Parts: sequence; C-alpha cells; structure tokens
Amino acid sequence: MSNSMLQRTLWVLFPLMVMLSGCEQSSESATAEKTIRVGSSGSYYPFTFVEKDKLQGFEIDLWNEIGKRQGYKVEFVTAKFSGLFGMLETGKIDTISNQITITDKRAKKYLFSDPYVYDGAQLVVHKDNTSIHGINDLVDKKVAVNLGSNFEQVLRNSSVGDQINITAYDGGMEQDVAIGRMDAFMMDKVSVLALIKKSNLPLKLAGKPVETIANALPFKKNEAGQKLQQQVNNALETMHADGSLARISKHWFDADITAKP
Amino acid sequence: MIQFDVHYALELLPIILKYLHITLGMAAISLVIALLTGLLLALIKVFKWSGLVWLADLFISFFRGTPLLVQLFLFYYGLPQLFPALKDMTAFQAAIAGLSLHFAAYMAESMRAAILSVESSQREAALSIGLTEIQAMRRIILPQAARIAIPPLMNNFIDLLKSTSLAFTLGVAEIMAKAQLEAASSFKFFESYLVVALVYWFVVVLCTKGQQWLEVRLSRGYR
Repeated sequence: MSNSMLQRTLWVLFPLMVMLSGCEQSSESATAEKTIRVGSSGSYYPFTFVEKDKLQGFEIDLWNEIGKRQGYKVEFVTAKFSGLFGMLETGKIDTISNQITITDKRAKKYLFSDPYVYDGAQLVVHKDNTSIHGINDLVDKKVAVNLGSNFEQVLRNSSVGDQINITAYDGGMEQDVAIGRMDAFMMDKVSVLALIKKSNLPLKLAGKPVETIANALPFKKNEAGQKLQQQVNNALETMHADGSLARISKHWFDADITAKP
Repeated sequence: MIQFDVHYALELLPIILKYLHITLGMAAISLVIALLTGLLLALIKVFKWSGLVWLADLFISFFRGTPLLVQLFLFYYGLPQLFPALKDMTAFQAAIAGLSLHFAAYMAESMRAAILSVESSQREAALSIGLTEIQAMRRIILPQAARIAIPPLMNNFIDLLKSTSLAFTLGVAEIMAKAQLEAASSFKFFESYLVVALVYWFVVVLCTKGQQWLEVRLSRGYR
C-alpha cells in the first residue's frame, strides 16, 4: 500500500523536477547575438572577486566598459581558474578575463588581445622569513603557485628550477604561506600588494619581481575569435587613449598598471 | 591571532542559503535518475539477462572504479572535444549526468543486495500460484526489498548530496562555490567553510529524519 503511494509521489515529483531544471537552463542558455561570455575565477582579489555575493574587481569594471563601447551584453561566468581554459576550449565562454599572461605556448593555441596589464612575477614569503630573497634561495623550498598559471613555468625555467618543490594550488596558497605550511608563493606583484593590504596576512615581498609579464585576453583561434579580438582591441585602444583604463586601474590599485613600462 | 568572526558568519549564512536550491535540485534530480538507472542495472544482474549482464558489469565497474571528479571533467571538458554537439551541455546538466551515473553504480549494488536478501521461497511461492518472473519481482520481491534497501540507499544519497560540492569545479554556483568565493575575498576561511559545513549537516539531518519516517511506514507489515 504505502509503496504504491510512494511510487505515485515519485512519478509526480520526477517530471516536476525535470521541468523546474528545464526552466533554469533555458534562461541561462538564452544568449543573444551580442552577448559575450567572460570567464573568471572570482577568487583573484582585486581583479575578480566575490564579496557579499557580488562579483566585482578590475576585470569586471574593464568588461563593463568594453561592453558599453562595443554594445555587448556582458555575461560573467565564474569557475575555478583551472577549469577556465577548458571552458574556453569547449565554447562555454568566449574569453578569459583573469590576468592571463601571454606565453609562447598559449599564443600558439589562442588569439590574444593587446596586453592591458603589465606586471611582474613576484615571490612572497612569511613576514618573519629572512632566508629567501630571490629564486636562487628556493633550493629545496616548498613553493606554491596557482594551478594552471604560468608562474610554475617561470620557476621551472630558472637555473635552480629542478631543485624547487613546487605545489600547484587551486586557491588558498596565501593562507598556507601565512601559516607556514609553504615557504613561499609566486604571483603577480600587483595583486600581491593589494592582497597583503586587504587581508592583513603576515606576508611580505621577497626580492624584486623576477620578470615582466604582459597580461591579455585569450580568444579561440577561429573566425568568431578573430572578430572579438579586433573589437576588443579597438575598445582597449580608445580606453587607453581617453584615460578610462587608467582610471579603472587607479580605482583598484592606486596606480596605473595598464601602461606599457 | 585571528578570532572567529561571528558577525561575518551570520552575514554569510543567508548568502549561502540563497543557493541551497541549486544544491538540492542537483541532488534531487540526480537521485531520481540514479534510482531508476540503478534499479535497471540491479534487475539485469539479478535476472542475468544475457547480452546485457556484461554491459551492466562494465557500467558499474567503470563508474564505481573511477573518481567522481574525473568523471565530471570527462563529461564537461572531455566529451565535447569528441562530440561537438555536447558543447551546449550546461555545467548544471553535466554535474547531474556525472552524479546520476556515478551513484547509479553504487545504488545498483545496494538494490541488488536488497533483492537477493529476500528469501527465495517468496519467489517460488509467487511462481507456484502462476505469476510470471516479472510479476513476482514487481509484486512480491521488490516491495520487500525496498524496505531493506532504504538504509544503504540513504547512505548513497547522503554521499550524493555532499558530492554536489564538486560541481563548483565545473562552474555551477552551488553553496560550496559561494563559500569558496567569499572565503577567497575575505580570507575568513574558517568561518566560510564552517557555515557551509553546518548547512550540509543540517540538510543531511533532515534527510535522516525522512528516512526514519520512511522506515516506519515500510515496516508496518512486519510489526
């Protein structure tokens, strides 16, 4: 008896749930022609971060401005950094706005916009650390980098590259250096400065930036990607020219990180 | 050094709860698909349907033998490279596909165990009064097996519910995703993860209550 009642409930619930989930999907995938889907990790303060359930940061302001100029409807997609290139590859997003550094390997596979941020690869250690001042001090040290970022290559390509214990993190590496689980991490200098200021974590810069990096927006190597590359470059150019790019930068960093050094 | 920020935790709770329906929706839809698929697999194995048994074995072996995270990545990032038609699959759908198939494999074994635990005399008696094998299964064996299957299936479901937290790696905005994002910008890791842990725990406690009610109902004939 009770069983058949259960069965009936299930049969009623099942189509209901399918319908419900259907509703959710259709509103999500209804992309107009001019919609551009921008992927970011939402966990890279202050470029892209979520506070009180609101996605914000330098990249978000940048894209709202590009969208205004090119007449796009900008749709932000948040996912783990390590998953972003996979999403670009499978066409789930149109570009990645997450301080993507132009590297040879990436340039072979993707079209890049003109660089919009110039930065340096910076080592960061615990405030009380006195032994690490540069890459050469990292022999046998535990060093963290973000999973999928190019900083792992920067370390590996150094003269002591094969003697560094590198661990790739999917978030949380700053905390692990602060509590002493790792000896150092490498990230871009601009966000390190902002991060130390905001988080109050006991961290400090170790030495000078290792190399200059140019960050840009990757697009797929196809016709649509080419078109986007062109339009975004046009927008970036005018934003450089009228100072709005510098304004966005100063808002988040108290400095212009968008000018070519 | 760092103190527990109660105010922050209380502020975070409603933000996370706003996305609870995504977690619950994923779990509920996956549960239904996993139960149906699992039942089919269990029946194939119990009846030893020729030609299909090896397929069911392969299915269970693969989906139980590989990590859920790997399966999710396979569905969402891998398959669309082979089959471009799958590019339109949303992260939400991919997560449901992964969760459903993964837990169908576990649930199939839970259900098979329950079916096998019903005395064979029940089946023999059913056949002796003229029921077919299928009728005997549906009317006599499955109702008895259902009662036995509830605890192991609930185990599987609780695991499924918590595994929805892996969907953030695909970009689904569920409660774990929100906790991680808020933690990344506030650096209040302990508060953020504690709040989301308590939310999961609370939901599982509610489910366990439901299980108790279900067990009482299904065992009425045994008192």
